Amino acid sequence: MERVIVIGGGGAGTAAATITKRLNPALKVSVFTEFSDIAYSPCGIPFVHGREIPTFEDLFLSTVERYREDGLDMRMETVVTDIDLARRTITTKNQPEGFDQLILCTGFYWEQPDVPGANLDGLHYVKDIRKSMEFDKQLDSMKRIVVVGAGPVGVEMAGGLAHRGLQVDLVDEGPWVLDGILDPDVAKPVHDSLQARGVTLHLGTKVESFEGNADGHVSAVTTSDGVLECDAVVTGLHKVPNTALAEAAGVKLGTTGAVRVDDHMRTSAPGVWAAGDVVEIPHGLNMIPIVGLTGAHAYAQGRVAAVNITGGELAYDPVWVPWGMVAGDYTIGGFSMGENLARSIGIPYVLAKGVGITKARYYPGAEKTFVKLLAEPDTLRLIGGVIHGGEGVKERCDFLAFAAKRGATLYDLAYMENIYSPPIGALFEPIQIAAQNALAAQRENKLAVAT
Amino acid sequence: MSSVADVKRNLRERSEQHLRRAVLSELGRGQPSTVQPYRPPGGLFWRMLFVPLYRRLPWSVKERAMGMLGMTAKGWQPPARTPGEPWRPPPAAAPALEPRPALEPRRAAEPALEPRRAAEPALEPRPADPPAAA
Repeated sequence: MERVIVIGGGGAGTAAATITKRLNPALKVSVFTEFSDIAYSPCGIPFVHGREIPTFEDLFLSTVERYREDGLDMRMETVVTDIDLARRTITTKNQPEGFDQLILCTGFYWEQPDVPGANLDGLHYVKDIRKSMEFDKQLDSMKRIVVVGAGPVGVEMAGGLAHRGLQVDLVDEGPWVLDGILDPDVAKPVHDSLQARGVTLHLGTKVESFEGNADGHVSAVTTSDGVLECDAVVTGLHKVPNTALAEAAGVKLGTTGAVRVDDHMRTSAPGVWAAGDVVEIPHGLNMIPIVGLTGAHAYAQGRVAAVNITGGELAYDPVWVPWGMVAGDYTIGGFSMGENLARSIGIPYVLAKGVGITKARYYPGAEKTFVKLLAEPDTLRLIGGVIHGGEGVKERCDFLAFAAKRGATLYDLAYMENIYSPPIGALFEPIQIAAQNALAAQRENKLAVAT
Repeated sequence: MSSVADVKRNLRERSEQHLRRAVLSELGRGQPSTVQPYRPPGGLFWRMLFVPLYRRLPWSVKERAMGMLGMTAKGWQPPARTPGEPWRPPPAAAPALEPRPALEPRRAAEPALEPRRAAEPALEPRPADPPAAA
């Protein structure tokens, strides 16, 4: 019987394993994971800490037993220490295990702050649910937390912990929170919402060191803006692809430091596949490889690897990265890129901006939704956008990412059809309004090209 | 990792870092609730030379240079971004996704759809040529 080994039990690993088995039940499929749990949503962890989701148990989607019932060979709490591509084996607990096909889904780890004191107790990284459960118990006796890094997880943790009633300081070197994805015109509502929850922002501020008490537990963070006393630190810097095993085995890495794959999720080594946070995927607009995608991307990549391993033919497309989140209580999202990233890369664009409402204006609870679209100056094809405020941000970003991937232009969006139903949609779709505004500006020769 | 891969990775990391910091600083200026980003010491070459030079180059040149330096993905086929092109199932897709047999031709007796009246005002026509950038 042919054997497929999957290393990693996150979104990509579970998708790759279960779909491989489903497509070809004759295969022996083994999943090796260093953790004791599988099939839970790590993305939900900040909301349990914040008491918005009642318990950690709510985050579990399935059990190890369920996977075993489905015929998978589950090797929990089993660390893979080596891959030998010549012998087609992996090593666990000093024992070789042979494979015919190997799928690397080793995920990521959080970048550790490169300052003195980073090895003190009390620095928490949001990833492993068991460690988060322990941290959550400790939080009950804590009062003040410093969150380092205002990326998505840092912002969610800061908002959640403040919601729980803790005093939270959020520290970041950037000029506004989420500066990797968000444009500055959205900073104010996001900052206002976090501050309304009780988060104190320290932006443009560098962490210089972590100070510890006699027990070796962090007690303060020294920053370029002063000392912040704390009971614990939550770090949310960059996600680093966990490539140690792949690299040691001779699998080629790309310019981001992640594993390089083709559109079938094949690595540079025959019979070795990879998916999820350990790989880099090209951006659909410019084919530049990127990392740090979502759990939904990881799952889809795992599925592609499974289909191809079992003799199918399925390509994964370059990505247009729809994203969305709630910062404090304010919903933000986007796709592909905003002005911030377009200008950094040097891609010329024109802007389409508009403000619409989420329900009919007379319907209770109608809120403003702000749409900013970026389009190519000559063809007006979509290249990116940022949307914020109210309901429907996620759906609009998903739709726009797909529309951009298929080459939709501002003309298409200006005359798109839309649902008008008072409780869920206004007469004029906010996306339409933004696109119409750009066409009106173009007619008056006022559509300026930015670079 | 090979030294060439190291150089590429380092080039990407450093250039991104400095290009981003320059843009954050400019875009945020005057925007409510923002501050200037923290600027670490050093990086004179990148700030004073690389960033201004990179920005002077047209996008088409940057794009070519990135391709030549191997900074873009290989082994990937981006979907055509041509509006109106229909989706087709992949060649070896599951049988359920195979194209259905053509429907029988419409019977001659079936009434045709009423033609649009000539007097009906046309919707705003889509421009025949791509619009010139303003």
